[in-house]
Amino acid sequence: MRVSNRFIALLILPSFALYLIFFIVPTIQALIYSLYDWSGFGAAPQFIGLSNFQELLNDRVFWRSIGNTVGILIVGGIVVFGLAFVMTMMLSSGIRGKKFFRGVIFLPNIIAVIALTTLWGYMYTPRTGLFAVIFDAIGLTDLARFPWMGPDTITIAMMIAIVWIEVGFYVVLLLAGVDKIPPDFYECAKLDGASDWQQFRHITVPLLSDVISIGMVLWSIHALKFFEFPFSFTGLEPNPSSYTVAVYLYILGFGQRQPIYRLGYATAIGVTLLLVVILVVLILRRLTRREVVQY
Amino acid sequence: MTQQSLTAGRSAALSTRTRKRRIQLRQVPSYLFLGAWSAFTILALSWVVLASVKTNREVFRQPFQIPAEPQWVNYERVWSNSQVGQSFLNSLLIVGVSVVLILVVSAPASYILSRARFKGRGLLTMIYIAGIGIPYPLLFIPLFALLAGIKLINTMPGLILIYVSLSIPFTVYILTGFFSTLPQELEDAAVIDGATDFQVFRKVMLPLASPGLLTASIFNFIGLWNEFQLALIFIQDPDKRPLSLSLYTLKNSMTYSGDWAGLFAGVVIVVVPTILLYIWLSERMISGMTLGSVK
Repeated sequence: MRVSNRFIALLILPSFALYLIFFIVPTIQALIYSLYDWSGFGAAPQFIGLSNFQELLNDRVFWRSIGNTVGILIVGGIVVFGLAFVMTMMLSSGIRGKKFFRGVIFLPNIIAVIALTTLWGYMYTPRTGLFAVIFDAIGLTDLARFPWMGPDTITIAMMIAIVWIEVGFYVVLLLAGVDKIPPDFYECAKLDGASDWQQFRHITVPLLSDVISIGMVLWSIHALKFFEFPFSFTGLEPNPSSYTVAVYLYILGFGQRQPIYRLGYATAIGVTLLLVVILVVLILRRLTRREVVQY
Repeated sequence: MTQQSLTAGRSAALSTRTRKRRIQLRQVPSYLFLGAWSAFTILALSWVVLASVKTNREVFRQPFQIPAEPQWVNYERVWSNSQVGQSFLNSLLIVGVSVVLILVVSAPASYILSRARFKGRGLLTMIYIAGIGIPYPLLFIPLFALLAGIKLINTMPGLILIYVSLSIPFTVYILTGFFSTLPQELEDAAVIDGATDFQVFRKVMLPLASPGLLTASIFNFIGLWNEFQLALIFIQDPDKRPLSLSLYTLKNSMTYSGDWAGLFAGVVIVVVPTILLYIWLSERMISGMTLGSVK
């Protein structure tokens, strides 16, 4: 539709002004601050070039946090997408109660993370927690004694909970894609004697490639900035062994137990995070780029 | 109906009749898996509700029993003593105002981006959507400095401003999806009838997009109601905290107070509004969520 430039400006302006001032400008400022040594909001920043990034290379806590974050991204991603695929296939196989199951699987997505960490903390409680009691009841005493919240195992405990929370979103996404595939495709394939696996491999996956690609991009953006779950899972501030990049950044800039206030350094971590997001999205785009299948 | 589809229909009916038994048998694993998953989710959440009306003794001594006498006093205690009541009202105010403002600024921009023809529209849309990929942690420090500069740190208007600005990319993404599906004819007809640009938007297109506006408000409401990462950074005063942040402090203080039953009552208070909304509007949410990504 043709409208006057004045009208366009009028309708764009309010949101663009807010977006510019509170989102784009801070992003650019972050790129600048990351080149400064800045030890508190009251202090004057000192330009130090790329020293913050050089220091990051030798920061073991940072590498640990990168390891945890990438672990969530890749291991969590494989499990989330694997499960989401299995559930989508199950839900689209013509079973009854499809909407009910889908609704319940998605449910954790609408619950405050802080409520979910409380719930999982309670379930992981030694001896009286849900898992301890269930595993005891079915005779798996080793699993019943498993120290879920121990410093070495907490990432596993966290990962299980994260998969349970996140999988519903990708089920909804994939299922919407599958529902759009015309049923005749499967009818024809069946007539030609294609097995379930062949139908999945040669009809479902190619026709879903767009949805899968968007799903993976959304997961990556989401997983790389994981903060609320690891931050609130352990009570008080988390142990450095379970830091994600976002948590480490927060601790350096705002940590309450031992104020550190390394604002430039923390921002350098944020910039690294942004670069990783861009890199991962580009890689995914490249990997999943293929001819768009029309139907 | 054509001859062809008639026979196709009949053969389909025939084949379902003969294969009915086998298909149902094949679906047994699906029912078991999805049933177990859903049962776990529902039981885990009910378990929290149950724990919220127990005494602190019962929470750990009898984790699975129905409490001897429901302790509604837990709710009274957290509501008044732990400032959960105050934060509930804060959350209503912060989230309510934010959601309205988000729509007020994003709807006009989305309308222009999806329907007006002008140079640079593609680029502008991309700039808006790019915000989805920028990780919030990158903005922590620049935004804190910015808000401190305009004296809005530790104020509800400051938090609202941040919430509104950071929600624009996602909201514009959803709303442009809705606006671009609306028929061109109505717009043309209104122009022929002599409507001004603004009247076309306000009187014709905006009402047509109301399902989209509703979807966008639900998502933003739930997202902001549950949000605590930004609140943690920008709000320090206990009496200005939104509910999720209040629950976080309650969870942390548990280390000293041991009042688990009270914490669970707090969890239920946080969760009930979003669950009610979800039960009421889950179909709309799920269909709206996939609109942008599944074409």
